[in-house]
Amino acid sequence: MYTGTKPVAELAARAPRMPTLDVDALALPSVEILTVTYEVRADVNEAMLPAGLHPTIPPIVTFVVWRAETFSMAQVRIGCRSGMRPRAFLVSAVVDGDAGPPLAERWGFATRPGTVTLERSYDRLRATVDDTLDVEVVDPVPLRPNDIQWIANMNLADTPRGLRLVQVDADYEVYRAERGRPRLAAFDAAAWSEPLLEPVYPVVATFAVADITLPRLRYVCRPEELAFFATEPATGA
Amino acid sequence: MKFGIFFELSVPRPWTPGAERAVYENAMEQARLADELGFDWVWAVEHHFLEEYSHCPAPEVFLAAVAAQTTRIRVGHGVVVCVPQMNHPVRAAERAAVLDIVSGGRLEFGTGRSSTWTELGGFQADPDETKKTWDEYVRVIPKMWTEERFSWEGRAFSMPERAVLPKPIQQPHPPMWVAVTSPGTELDAADRGLGCLGVASAGYEEQERRTQEYHRRIQQCDPVGDVVTDMVTTLNFLYCHEDAAIAGERGRSFQAAFGLANAHLLFTREAYATTAYELLGNLVPSPRRAEAGSPGAERNLPEGTAIGDPDWCIEQIKGWESIGVDGINFLTNGLEALPQDQVLESMRLFAREVMPRFRPR
Repeated sequence: MYTGTKPVAELAARAPRMPTLDVDALALPSVEILTVTYEVRADVNEAMLPAGLHPTIPPIVTFVVWRAETFSMAQVRIGCRSGMRPRAFLVSAVVDGDAGPPLAERWGFATRPGTVTLERSYDRLRATVDDTLDVEVVDPVPLRPNDIQWIANMNLADTPRGLRLVQVDADYEVYRAERGRPRLAAFDAAAWSEPLLEPVYPVVATFAVADITLPRLRYVCRPEELAFFATEPATGA
Repeated sequence: MKFGIFFELSVPRPWTPGAERAVYENAMEQARLADELGFDWVWAVEHHFLEEYSHCPAPEVFLAAVAAQTTRIRVGHGVVVCVPQMNHPVRAAERAAVLDIVSGGRLEFGTGRSSTWTELGGFQADPDETKKTWDEYVRVIPKMWTEERFSWEGRAFSMPERAVLPKPIQQPHPPMWVAVTSPGTELDAADRGLGCLGVASAGYEEQERRTQEYHRRIQQCDPVGDVVTDMVTTLNFLYCHEDAAIAGERGRSFQAAFGLANAHLLFTREAYATTAYELLGNLVPSPRRAEAGSPGAERNLPEGTAIGDPDWCIEQIKGWESIGVDGINFLTNGLEALPQDQVLESMRLFAREVMPRFRPR
């Protein structure tokens, strides 16, 4: 059975410090969300995940860009399983605005500052992050709001209990959803902290507008053990 | 109540030389035993690229071998994937007819559309189209079997007039089924006069609702073929042992291994935003666990699971019978977690102690 093989010590360097796991939820109204999914090279997939997570077959990466009222954030996430649950392991994130530190401290997003843009033209939506990411949703067409599925994040963070995968299952109230063809014009994997990550085959691209609620944390997992044995309540344990 | 065994042909890593052959040989031995013991069906899936979970892309070949080694048990395509990139409908009809002939008229013809991006993406099939192409296939394949010559202009394919040969032995044609994972597909089955081949777990309450609606609706069906298959089957795990603790330990081991392999797959809805797939495949929450304090809770199994001693298995199957289910197909192993002799022992005990309780005397 596949499990990740990346040493947690290597991942620890990019894990943000979370002073507490007892955080309040945060409502983010009317967030524009661009998501582009690609299959990635399979032979290195395990090498990008810690032992507590399983790769998917085939492996995928999702580029997720949020434009909220006061900040924008771009994430690079690898599709995975925590136990039998679908999850996405956060490789790293870039935040445009002042929200980086609170997102890191409260939900374990491994952020760095940068310039995140999201542009809409008639036939496409385009997101860029400095000169490290350039993705598009080409020829979008409407979907039903519940046709898009976002998978909960597993963010590796340095918590009061030590290194933990922090499950961030954000809630989405979707008002508008569209799907188009994905186009990846530029991606500097090394700049996103995972040089092995190589998108090789386009899957789908979506755009949505939704109210997002970043939740109170429910579960964390020890990153080197399988979730069946390593899942802990985030608070009250 | 009818009983079947259901093969995914899962092959655990490491894939040493001979590992796949051993899985196929074990399955054929189980099929021979099932034939002797009085099971009604042996089903085999069509899956592609599903590492470990299923190494069974050509069920018609496997089932032909099973048919050659058995005399009575019916052989089921569980299912033919009705997606043009994977199977041209003429090839599906031809292969099925040959299987019906070589099995002496024992074919059950299951249909479906695939639920994983692993497969659809691999064949570059459009997930939005699969329900539509499935609908076209189930309407044309019976015509290919029953009409001397056939021509078609459709969405999934078109062809000039040709004789699609050979014709199946069963008259007017083999029973047809559809694999049901997503809620609502049982209604598609009922409307078309197709059997409802359950391939995902549901608890009693959910299955009862679906089964009742299916049986009600099929009374007014507009059949796609010349045969109406008014049956609902469910998929279950089977491990039967005189000692309930041993049954639980062994049964849970292969159930867990199978579930984990399944969970690795990339289900279509997770990868590809679409209206055409409502669920995250089998990654939806498991059926309800037995209530706290009940024997089922101690076993840590979803309700209705046939893992236990004979009395327990009888009780679970009575539960399915009471809600109108007509047949149960069993996974007897998963990822070869159990040695073959234990699987065969379980099947023998089930046939000796459990099956007679559900057969006419």
